[in-house]
Formats: sequence, C-alpha cells, structure tokens
Amino acid sequence: MADVLSVGVNLEAFAQAINAIQALRSSVSRVFDCLKDGMRNKETLEGREKAFIAQFQDNLHSVNRDLNELERLSNLVGKPSENHPLHNSGLLSLDPVQDKTPLYSQLLQAYKWSNKLQYHAGLASGLLNQQSLKRSANQMGVSAKRRPKSQPTTLVLPPQYVDDVISRIDRMFPEMSIHLSRPNGTSAMLLVTLGKVLKVIVVMRSLFIDRTIVKGYNENVYTEGGKLDIWSKSSFQVFQKVTDHATTALLHYQLPQMPDVVVRSFMTWLRSYIKLFQAPCQRCGKFLQDGLPPTWRDFRTLEAFHDTCRQ
Amino acid sequence: MGVTCVSQMPVAEGKSVQQTVELLTRKLEMLGAEKQGTFCVDCETYHTAAATLGSQGRLSLAGQAGKLMYVMHNSEYPLSCFALFENGPCLIADTNFDVLMVKLKGFFQSAKASKIETRGTRYQYCDFLVKVGTVAMGPSARGISVEVEYGPCVVASDCWSLLLEFLQSFLGSHTPAAPAVFGNRHDGVYGPADTMVQYMELFNKIRKQQQVPVAGIR
Repeated sequence: MADVLSVGVNLEAFAQAINAIQALRSSVSRVFDCLKDGMRNKETLEGREKAFIAQFQDNLHSVNRDLNELERLSNLVGKPSENHPLHNSGLLSLDPVQDKTPLYSQLLQAYKWSNKLQYHAGLASGLLNQQSLKRSANQMGVSAKRRPKSQPTTLVLPPQYVDDVISRIDRMFPEMSIHLSRPNGTSAMLLVTLGKVLKVIVVMRSLFIDRTIVKGYNENVYTEGGKLDIWSKSSFQVFQKVTDHATTALLHYQLPQMPDVVVRSFMTWLRSYIKLFQAPCQRCGKFLQDGLPPTWRDFRTLEAFHDTCRQ
Repeated sequence: MGVTCVSQMPVAEGKSVQQTVELLTRKLEMLGAEKQGTFCVDCETYHTAAATLGSQGRLSLAGQAGKLMYVMHNSEYPLSCFALFENGPCLIADTNFDVLMVKLKGFFQSAKASKIETRGTRYQYCDFLVKVGTVAMGPSARGISVEVEYGPCVVASDCWSLLLEFLQSFLGSHTPAAPAVFGNRHDGVYGPADTMVQYMELFNKIRKQQQVPVAGIR
C-alpha cells in the first residue's frame, strides 16, 4: 500500500493537521457549550453580560486560531499522486463505507493473489520442465538453452512489446486485419476484421486474452459515443454461438510462459471462420442444423463441425 | 441487410392461391418458425413520356414509349422509396420521392392499372427471415412470392448453398435457381437495392404470365 501514496504527501504535516482538526472541533464545541450555559451568576446584569460576551469572544478567537492553523497545515500536506496504478478502480478507495462494501481492499487482495499465483506458476513450470517426462532429447536441449535467461514477469509487459506482437500477427494473414486501441487504460483492445464475414472484439490484459465478442460484419461495434462497445452481444444466433466457441478457445490455448504463441494460435484458429457460411459439417455433410451453420472449429485440425456434431 | 432470395411459388394443383399460402405457412410453423407481423412490397410503373404526340404510353406500345421506371416501397424500410430502371441503376430515396413523381408528371407518366403488390406474413426462424406473400394486381390474386433473408451473411456468393438447403427444407421441389443478382455481385456487399431488383423481376414475370390468356381472348 505504501507505493500508492507518493512523495507528494508530507506525512508529518498530515499528522499535525489531524491534531489541528481535533483542536478545532473542541474549540467549536466550547463555543456551543458557552452558549448553552448562558450567563453566569454575577451581582449586576451588566457584569453578567460583560462576562458572557468576553467568554464568547475568547472562544470565537480560539476557533479562528485553530482554523488558520489547519489551513496552514493543509497547504503543507500536498496532493496525493494523480496517476493511480489501478486507474479508475483506485477511485474505489475513496468510498467511506468500508464495512459494508470493502471492495477496494478485496480488489487489491485479488490482484496480489493473482500476481503471486502467476509467479509461483512460473517457478513451478521452470522446475517441472527440468524433469521432462518426454523421451526425445531435443526438448531438453531447447529448454536448457532458454532457462538461464530470466523470464520477465509476463503480466507487466511494456505496451510497446504488445503493439509489436500484434502488428506482427496482423501481417501474418492477408484476409485478417487487426486494429489495436487503448481506450481504457493500459489493456489493449483489438478489433479483428475477418474478410467480410465477421468482426471480433478482443479485450486483453498485457499479452493475455481476457474476453472476446464476435459480431457480424454489418453490425455496429461502436457505442453511441464512438468508443468500442465491448459488452453488447450480437443480434444473430450464429455469432452468439461463435462467441461461446471463441471463449472456449481462449481457455483451451494456454501457455503462461509464451503468451505470444498463444495469441498466434488463437488468431490462426479464428481465421478458419472465413468459410463460416461456405463449409459444410465434416460429420453430417449438411450446412444447417437447427438453422445454424457449422460453428465449431476443431482446435487441432480446424475442421468445421456443427455444435451438436462435434466429437 | 443480409443476403436475400426472392422467388415465386407456383400454385398447387387444384388449389387456390390462398390454400397454397396456408400450406406453406403451416410447413414453416412445423419447422419452428415464429410469426412476426406482416409485410408489404408494392410497385408502380412509370414510363418516360416521349416528345412526339400520340404516344399515350399503353403497355403494348412500350417500345415506343421509352424506358420503364419502377417505383417501389418495402415495409422493411418504411422511410425509403426505391426507383429503378430495368437494367439500370437503383435509386434509394426517402418517401418524399412519391410527391416528387407527381411534380414530374410531364416527364414520367404512370402506366394504367400498373400497381402490383405482395402482402403477407413474416416468419423468423433462427437467423432466417421468411416472408410469404400473395401477389395481387388490383383485387385479383395472381401468384405467391417467397422471400428468404439470411441476416448474418452479407456476401451473396458465400451463403448460396446454405440458403438453398434451407429453401429445400420447406419449398421441396419448387426451390428456385440462384438469382441473377448473385452472379453480378461477385464479392460485393449485398444491399436492399438487390432485393428490390429481384422483386421487380418477379412482378414482371407474374404480369407476363397473366397477359397470355387475355391476348388469346382478343
């Protein structure tokens, strides 16, 4: 948590400012107490009034003094840093009702947990690769060469690297064009256009694919404000089915140590949809099953099957 | 707008137009299609008024009267009006175009009794939109039109096999051949103008069908 508050905050002045607030509160409550108690018992009416006014003035002066002290200290404290490492979700920390909705602390815990998990998984995979169960000697030789190089943690990759990988994949296939944008922070959002068949919106987290949504070529992928619409589903059943299959694919293609290979394989699998309406099912030979064309593409052979026909 | 195929369903032997339409709709409902309202496509014919006198532009003098222009409306696009020539371009305008035609009376004259329209019900089956309508010229029913639209695909050449399989499932032996517009637009994006061209060809075919017995009587 310490790295969230940056150098701009003067912790000394912060503590003094909190004390000054307490002093101010007590002097204000003294004012109201004095008013509540009213005039003290004295001989003459004038005496009572004078004593009351003098006391009231004293209290107001002390309030004024404390308020000035607080203003001076608050100028010293300085502003906290503007760039939150968690971007908009960092604003959740401003929620005062921490008991009922401890969202921010839970969010930070989830992030730390997933980072630790990633790190441990990397260590474990390195150790397991040493004890290879495969018989071929070639695999051992390749991994031995790679191991001495310390792998950078793949969750915090520089955006330039991500851009490079994506642009290389974009050039791989002529009928597939990938457009990268970063409208919400550092996570990349890709708009993949496959021929004149479909458009895919891919939301990424550094170089890992998080979510995909598949829509038709003539459907609108932008919201009214002109931003990429990453939430609304397609209005056609066939593309809703393909979205489900794409989600299955990104769960299937997993390789934590080499995420660019994963993205490449995913794009190769996606490219097989260029013949979505032209290819008959390899099992039953027909085009339509319940009104849907063969929407399933096998992960290894890229053959077309109906959802109900796949083995 | 997805790829659309418009075809004519011949009237069944010994049955009326109404009964054939009912047969078709029952088959569609058995397939699992849901009814979704009605549709209407209509067409009016105009011909360019020739400069010479005497050519009042009856259909039999079509060769002398100049080119024929069709002004069509489609309930799927209620705010639009389509104007097309036989082999020429198709103009998509808004509904004020009808008012414009009135103003252009000097150049375009409406052919008599030329209004032909098809009305019927819309059915939705998965991503297919099927419209079965009765083609009528005036009060008499002349034929049956069947339109099938496959929404997700916009390239005609891609999904013809798919469309054909669907058409066969409920039209049986009356499945049509690939429409001519599919051949013209090889890899281009399909548009509503292509659908209107198909309707125009269908209406012309139906008009010619009924004229033969009339000419024989004369």
